[in-house]
Amino acid sequence: MEKKSKLSIFTNGLIKENPILVLVLGTCPTLALSTAAMNGIYMGLALTFVLTCSNIFISALKRIIPDSVRIPCFITVIATFVTIVQLVIKAYMPELDGILGVYIPLIVVNCIILGRAEMFASKNTIVDSAIDGLGMGIGYMIALTFMGCVRELIGAGTVFGMAVTVNFLTPFSIATLPPGGFFVFGCIIALMNKLTKGKVREKQENKCMGCPGSSFCSKSQEGGCDQ
Amino acid sequence: MKAALFLVFTAIITNNYVLVQFLGICPFLGVSKKLNSAMGMSVAVTIVMVIATAVTWPIQTYLLDPNDIGYMQTLVFILVIAALVQLIEIVLKKFIPSLHKALGVYLPLITTNCAVLGVCVLNITNEFTYGQALLNSFGAGIGFMLAMFLFAGVRSRIETNDYPEAFKGVAGTLVAASIVSLSFLGFSGLVSGLFGM
Amino acid sequence: MADKHTNLIVSAAPHVNAPQDTASIMRDVCIALIPAVSVAVYVFGLQALILTLVCCAACVFMEWATRRIMGRPDTTSDWSAMVTGLILALNLPVSMPYWMAVVGCFVAIVVAKQFFGGLGQNFANPAIVGRIALFIGFATQMSTWAVTPRMSSAIVNVAGADAISGPTPLGLLAKGSAVPTNLEMFLGNINGSMGEISAAALIIGGVYLVIRKVISPVIPLSFIGSVAVMSLVFGLDPIFQVCAGGVMLGAIFMATDYVTSPITNAGKVIFGIGCGVLTMLIRMYGSYPEGVSFAILFMNILVPHIDSLTKHVAFGKEKGGKK
Repeated sequence: MEKKSKLSIFTNGLIKENPILVLVLGTCPTLALSTAAMNGIYMGLALTFVLTCSNIFISALKRIIPDSVRIPCFITVIATFVTIVQLVIKAYMPELDGILGVYIPLIVVNCIILGRAEMFASKNTIVDSAIDGLGMGIGYMIALTFMGCVRELIGAGTVFGMAVTVNFLTPFSIATLPPGGFFVFGCIIALMNKLTKGKVREKQENKCMGCPGSSFCSKSQEGGCDQ
Repeated sequence: MKAALFLVFTAIITNNYVLVQFLGICPFLGVSKKLNSAMGMSVAVTIVMVIATAVTWPIQTYLLDPNDIGYMQTLVFILVIAALVQLIEIVLKKFIPSLHKALGVYLPLITTNCAVLGVCVLNITNEFTYGQALLNSFGAGIGFMLAMFLFAGVRSRIETNDYPEAFKGVAGTLVAASIVSLSFLGFSGLVSGLFGM
Repeated sequence: MADKHTNLIVSAAPHVNAPQDTASIMRDVCIALIPAVSVAVYVFGLQALILTLVCCAACVFMEWATRRIMGRPDTTSDWSAMVTGLILALNLPVSMPYWMAVVGCFVAIVVAKQFFGGLGQNFANPAIVGRIALFIGFATQMSTWAVTPRMSSAIVNVAGADAISGPTPLGLLAKGSAVPTNLEMFLGNINGSMGEISAAALIIGGVYLVIRKVISPVIPLSFIGSVAVMSLVFGLDPIFQVCAGGVMLGAIFMATDYVTSPITNAGKVIFGIGCGVLTMLIRMYGSYPEGVSFAILFMNILVPHIDSLTKHVAFGKEKGGKK
């Protein structure tokens, strides 16, 4: 792998390989939590913390972890940091625990984190991995918050809880319900396709590149699963 | 009996894990292009969900909670699930090779399926009894299967569509999923009405 | 059949060759809806006509605009957008704010149809998707039912002399109040969505479509029939259940959409019965008073499976159509 500048590693996660908009990873919390803009910030912060820490740790341990059991090792590291986040939230922000709910423990199986561990942290230096984690995490946060803004604006007429259109337009509340989640997500990706003239879609079609299953999925050698 | 059916159908329809609770979206979008693989994945997920619940529930109740280490839940559960998936794969390979051949591809991917960890965690959060937890997991698996079945049909219908440029690929799939999940909203209240609960 | 295009199933001969095209079919549907629109205008007044025109204009405009933005040939001349607008309008309460109706038209034409490539490629009926999106998204406005003096005394009395809105027959039934007579239900002296009220007008339109061979009567009959049978089984008045809510409009005009209903007669029967059973289940047990559109949408989603289950096998080919 050629040497990349620190800045390009950072912006990689923000734009070129944005985990939500380009790689379409970690879709479950994206759809479930984007009902309000603020959720995006909370979830983004939690994920950025876990991702950066696990990237640092895994990068530091990359020579110690035996290749054959690396996935369980990665999961252990990630789960440890998720537990830390869980405990902190429970102790200091109990109301947040109610909002994010099951999606906090589910950060463990978030494809983004395991994917970065496998694709980046286990191959790069500690500093680079930390920057990569930060970039990816912030990219995730921006995308999730943006989607939250759109859904909150249409579905509740507010953004970050502040009244925008709610006083003169009846909110179209379906936007904050599951169908609205799928729909807004679809439209945002369509917009990305439009802006990048289809480059995003090419990346999505080669899904193995971000799929954590790629390391043990037999089909990844055959040029991606046909699924 | 009625209560049991209520629990199962709630998990299948009203609280469908994929279309209502947004768990297991990755395989829902990724493995739903062909009906055969969608069904294979669903069967594998259902099996793993039930077995994982059968194992994680006692661990939480008899091991973590009495020792005041409930916060170890996430770490313990995910490792147990990962180990279980490996174990199931080995057992299937050894004893039911035909089934292993059919489901083998999907098993490794299930470790990171958030629906499996999700159902194990939610069983504890909702304070289900052991029996309830098993029923809920079974219902969650069948609900996953239902969503996959419906969506596989839709996708077989629309895959050769002449989409607008921007909606080719994932974007169009998501819009289709949105319409499928729209239809599930109609079932709200249906299960509790049916079982009078 | 080892081809990729499994959605292009050629059924066994004979193949029909008729002098129909999309535009003539759609025009016939519009003609068939004239009685229903007339009753709506008679019962609800001029506002019904204005709302209908707004929906039609919005749908046609959005069809034109999206095709233009997508750089594709204009398809407004096939009348399909017009039909969608008409049917969507008939699914709305007369008091629906116009801009909300336009949102519904956007969902129907742009989201449910053009995002998938246009007519023939949508897997769900556009008007149904539009209606459900409005129903969920603007719940209050979609369930405010105007009351006019031309309606059954059962409705006017409950609503009160000066009330502008009141319960629908299904709402009355749910509350256990007296419901309009079956004759009133049949003729349409009731409130509800604009086009749903008069079973008689819808049946006239349906008969016209059947005579013109635009629709086959299989889906409407099995849909309405299964609603009636379900009502009998549960001890309800079948005539009331069939005439109430959107059963007639749904069965005759929405469930019969070519694009989103099964190809074979066997498939159509399954589809119709599925719609009827689901409608009654939602009416009786669900949290919504009416289930017709949800039932049709759900069955729309099942159509690919129904089709592959019931597809004709050409003589000499193995049953089941396995490759």
